[in-house]
Amino acid sequence: MAIDQDTLRHMSEASVSVELETQDMTLNIGPQHPSTHGVLRLVATVDGERVFGVRPVIGYMHRGYEKLSEVRTYPQITALINRIDWVSGYANEVPFIVAAERLMELEVPERAQFIRLILTEMARISSHMVFMASYPLELGAATPLFFALRERERLLDLLEGVTGGRFHPNFNRIGGVKPNAGAGPTQKKTPQDLPAGFFEETREAMERIRHAADQLEDLIAGNEIIRARTKGIGVIPPEVAVAYGLSGPNLRASGVGFDLRKTENYLPYHLFDFDIPTGENGDCYDRWWVRLQEIRQSCRIIEQAIDGVPEGPLQAKVPKVIKVPAGEVYVRAENPKGEMGYYLVSDGGQGPYRLKIRSASFSNISVLPWALENVLVPDIIAIMGSLDFVLGDVDR
Amino acid sequence: MDVIVDLFSNFWVALLGKILLVALMIPLVGMVIGFAEMKLSAKMQNRVGPYFAGGRWGWAQLIADGVKFFQKEDLIPADADRPVFKTAPIWVLVGTVALFVVIPFGPDLIFRDLSVGIFYALAISSISTIGVLMAGWSSANKYSLMGGLRAAGQLIAYELPLVLAVVGSVILAGTMSMTGIVEAQIEAGYPYIVVQFVGFGIFMVAALAELTRIPFDMPIAESELVMGYLTEYSGFRFLFFFLAEFANMFTLSAIAVTLFLGGYWLPGLSETQLAYLGPIILIAKVFVLVFAMIWFRWTFPRFREDQLQTLAWKWLIPLALANILVTATLKVVL
Amino acid sequence: MTSSPSDTEQAEQVAHPLQDFADELAGAVGGTVEIAFDSVKVSVPAENWVQAHLTARDDYDLVFFSFLSAIDWARDVAVGDPLADEEVEERIEVISSVADVSEGKRVTFSCDLDHATPTIDSLVEVYAGANWHEREAAEMFGIDFRGHPDLTLLYLPDSFEGNPLRKSFPLLSREVKPWPGKVDVEAMPEKPSTENPGA
Repeated sequence: MAIDQDTLRHMSEASVSVELETQDMTLNIGPQHPSTHGVLRLVATVDGERVFGVRPVIGYMHRGYEKLSEVRTYPQITALINRIDWVSGYANEVPFIVAAERLMELEVPERAQFIRLILTEMARISSHMVFMASYPLELGAATPLFFALRERERLLDLLEGVTGGRFHPNFNRIGGVKPNAGAGPTQKKTPQDLPAGFFEETREAMERIRHAADQLEDLIAGNEIIRARTKGIGVIPPEVAVAYGLSGPNLRASGVGFDLRKTENYLPYHLFDFDIPTGENGDCYDRWWVRLQEIRQSCRIIEQAIDGVPEGPLQAKVPKVIKVPAGEVYVRAENPKGEMGYYLVSDGGQGPYRLKIRSASFSNISVLPWALENVLVPDIIAIMGSLDFVLGDVDR
Repeated sequence: MDVIVDLFSNFWVALLGKILLVALMIPLVGMVIGFAEMKLSAKMQNRVGPYFAGGRWGWAQLIADGVKFFQKEDLIPADADRPVFKTAPIWVLVGTVALFVVIPFGPDLIFRDLSVGIFYALAISSISTIGVLMAGWSSANKYSLMGGLRAAGQLIAYELPLVLAVVGSVILAGTMSMTGIVEAQIEAGYPYIVVQFVGFGIFMVAALAELTRIPFDMPIAESELVMGYLTEYSGFRFLFFFLAEFANMFTLSAIAVTLFLGGYWLPGLSETQLAYLGPIILIAKVFVLVFAMIWFRWTFPRFREDQLQTLAWKWLIPLALANILVTATLKVVL
Repeated sequence: MTSSPSDTEQAEQVAHPLQDFADELAGAVGGTVEIAFDSVKVSVPAENWVQAHLTARDDYDLVFFSFLSAIDWARDVAVGDPLADEEVEERIEVISSVADVSEGKRVTFSCDLDHATPTIDSLVEVYAGANWHEREAAEMFGIDFRGHPDLTLLYLPDSFEGNPLRKSFPLLSREVKPWPGKVDVEAMPEKPSTENPGA
């Protein structure tokens, strides 16, 4: 069905481009460009303001994590994969750790699972807040950036309080979460986990996030120019979205109400009430709107979760040298950018035999050549930005 | 005292004095507005803004920036059309400087009261367009070229509503002299915005577009065209564009104030009082408009190029023509 | 707030309903099925590769293309551990993952290819998103995807030679300085550590 869409598009284009007999120009957008989120390069064929086609060139940030993880131990890999999608570093760790735990058949203490869940949702909000900041900026509005980043900073403070890291927490351990934050080498290891006052501060932060979400909605959704720039622009129909493997908010904006948090069991999401916001048209505006709603839903989840964090240990019993039994497992999780999955093949050693990292942004931007056919130059930025990718997540 | 008066009654000395005054005004106005923009945008974004330079409120920030620009290397791309590239900023600035000539700061405070003042102002401001196009063309950069072409398309499209918006006031005043228009408003007893609110609105929108400020900053459009026609400029040539933008904000606002808001005049002030307070009143009014421009700049995103053209050709120009028709009819009937 | 059932219990509960579906699917595409840890893996012969995906997409609603990659089962290892299991034969195993977007069903398709010259049909006609994934697998493992519209290098620079994710490809930084990594982990102290830090 995706093929039919493609053909149709090409046919409708042919009638447009036939009469233009001007010379095409190749415009090289990136790898150094203000709005390519890092080092994405787009080679666009343009005629004036019209873009005929775009060829994305990636790999400027390829760090070879899949190869590296073949020579690293499981605890070492956690530090690496933090850096895949650095905007939501924490969320990257969870599916990998869960994959290893599945192979080891470990039972993770509930308290650890709840902490993972809370921090994952915080990572989601902070990732979406970055989108809320950068997307209007790409459309020319500079002010929402400050409103969004200000609140994101509070979340990063909370994350830092728990994990010690703002961007790269490296907080998960196989069998649970890092058990003793802050205990130095000379101190006796004290079983402390969450910093004092964490719940109250989180509750307060959630209030502020909701307020910020309202503010952003006022600033952006009510703006005629934003609507003119995003409504009906970059429409990705659901059948195209699934064929390209678009996931997360991008998929939901196309009207597919699918969320791995509802179907997978990597974290205890089934205990909480939350809705899956979906868009109607699959255009840039819907992709923005879905993310805004997800911020509110994540607030709901966190508020429910901090009320119900059970007491108990933070770590399951694990041997000091972690060896994962031979086997294959694929664990996928609903990360802020979309489906993040780890296909872990173990041969019983201290490190994976093969680790395939399925990152969301890679598939999300693979739709660009399709979506950027026959648009205008400003729409390149509008569409590209609305997909919310991070180059580290694309190149890995 | 007499010596000085005698000295300035000499044409050449007076000319030199005027030139110096204008030359001083451009950086002064640029700095004041630039600083206002920095501080106001900071306020709107929950920031502090410039803080350290100069000791208090960072008042010397713009001076420091200016010094920095002059210290920078004057980079010229290897493939650039050198003479065109080098002179482009000058043309942009000239277009702005020349506008100061016809702005009446007080009853007798005007550099030159041309009988076709407003006509001159609108004509001379187009020189900047040529400068922008030259900058875009000569940079040998695709982004610059696209920015330059966007600027040309945009400035041509918005020159029309700008001119048409002015016509209403000119019809009412019956003169094209800038002082004449202010005097006509004094005589009428109300600023022309009361009857020419449509013209004023169109003028301000078109002025924003002429200034290539958000929401009409497509020729620069950082997120799309890097910096548009400014991409390859650095050092003092960049500073020229920078200054020209802020000075242009001042001059276009001053023209709007003169045409629609009664210029240097406030009701209830005598002729002598106006002679002294005129400049202050004018500048105060100008800054109200400048504030609005800054406000828009930090609130709105930018249009798309085709949406901008649609706005100009489908909405502003017909509206301006209708405004002229109504004004002319009423002028004849009443 | 009630307590959650543990991961493994859940996995077992969910695995059973998938069994019927997996068997049906494996029958339809002519493959063998293996269910482990909540995921279904269907091995199909190379000639049925495209047909299997077509069936999965059209008849089983597995419309979502998740990823495609490969595993290099090799004994000639330049870096990392060699295969522990002597029985595993050398091969390139292509894996692709497709899913539905309603119930969370997901299937891994797997296909064993010749280790020296792996060749398989391209999936681009079935799932448009396979395009980039196949380019990645092609440059990383040297797999030839027949019928792929543009099998050029995706990540690697144009002049790059070799297939980095093959086990025989050396990791250059490791050649220079063999640190850090799992091969360097020191033996743990003799004292059996019974206490679990912080638990």
